[in-house]
Formats: sequence, C-alpha cells, structure tokens
Amino acid sequence: MSAELTLQAPGVPASLDLVHGLLQRAWEQHPDVVADDRMRFEIAVVEIAGNVVEHAGDPDPIEFELALRVEPDRVEARFQDPGQRVEVDFSSVTMPGELAESGRGVALALLTADEVAYRHDGNLNHWLVVRRRAA
Amino acid sequence: MIELDTHPSGAAVLRVDGRLTMVDAPALRAAVGEAVAGAATTVVVDLSGCEFMDSSGLGAVIAGLKAARQAGGDLRIAAPSPQVLTVLQLTNLERVLRPFASVAEAIDVG
Repeated sequence: MSAELTLQAPGVPASLDLVHGLLQRAWEQHPDVVADDRMRFEIAVVEIAGNVVEHAGDPDPIEFELALRVEPDRVEARFQDPGQRVEVDFSSVTMPGELAESGRGVALALLTADEVAYRHDGNLNHWLVVRRRAA
Repeated sequence: MIELDTHPSGAAVLRVDGRLTMVDAPALRAAVGEAVAGAATTVVVDLSGCEFMDSSGLGAVIAGLKAARQAGGDLRIAAPSPQVLTVLQLTNLERVLRPFASVAEAIDVG
C-alpha cells in the first residue's frame, strides 16, 4: 500500500508549480513508474489542475487540495475545492480546431488518462484522474 | 521564463526555459507581440529548454502563430521535447506547428 502525497494550495496559476513539485516527489518515491506513464499522467493532472485553478479563482482565489497515490497497477490524483460547480459533459468533449487558443484542456486529459471523473458533492468539487500503469 | 533574442537574419528567437503552462503563457503571448511589433516576420520559439507544455502554453503558441501570420510572417517551433511532441500529436497540431530539429533549421527554411 503506498502512502499518499498531498498538498493544499491557493487556486492561482502559480500553484501549478506546486503540482509539478508533488508529482516529482511521487516519481522519486516510485522510480518504477515508467517514463511514458509519468508523462501522460502529468499531462492529465496538470490540465485538471489548470481547470481547478481557473474556476477556483472565480471571483476570489480559494484553496484546493490534491492527493496523489501510486499503486502497483495505477496512478491516481484526487482534487477537491470549494469553488463553484463546474459544468462539464465528458461525452461531448472534442478537440477544438487548429487555430483555437483554448478549450483543449479536458480533451487532452481524457486522451492521457484512463479515467477522468468529476462530481459536485455538497459544497465541494471533486476531480479524479487515473492512469493504469504499463504492465 | 521567456527570453527574446534577435537572430542576425532578423528572425526573433523566443527561448522558453522550464515549463510553459498557465504561469508563463501570458509572458509568451507578450513576447511574440513585442517581436512582431519590432518588425520580425519570422518568430522561432526555441523549446530546447522547455520540459513541459500544457494546453495554456499551447494556446499561447497558437496565439503567437496567428499574430505572426497577421503581420505577414510565420511562427515556428524548434527542438521540442518528447512531452511537447506528445501534446502536439494528441491535439492534432503537428501540421500547423511543424517541429524543427533546431533554431537554425527553423530559420533556414526561409
């Protein structure tokens, strides 16, 4: 059973650096996670973190929590924040056109993670990102 | 971190160091704006020092491409890492942002 790595940070762009730092710590503790899994999980986690930061900061920055867990068969990230409910319909997410300047985040997360889930529970937003590890 | 340099050919070279995410995306947009206002028609984004790019960073590169084209020029990317190449592939942008092996190659295309 692996230990969980957690952080609590304000919902501002600079906190993305803390998310990268936490992922770095996870890889240091689990050097057996292969490079491709690390890279793709990191893409998905940072996209969701960007989404959390974007919405959590509206109108005033609030704190979000991130918990990372490395298991023998998967890597998992759980975000939690008390921001406004996010309207997201995974079934209708598509990659925007070539010259779009935004709107790729969730699509990119869905392509690099095996599971991305969102729920709003009481006053909290919950995001789950799972990537199954290469056998 | 973004550094703006002018190549002897007149091309503007923007060097991205570290990560290009929501944190540095506004600086990249501003640097491309500065380069285009300074009459550079070719803008090369040197990604040899960029270890990670997210969709916000990519959005800033696309904004830069549009700004350069509007000024009658072009924006090219050089020396992307495997992570950046993966993001380009997954977002179907390898054609519009064709990666060059080096800054010199990106400039030599003319």
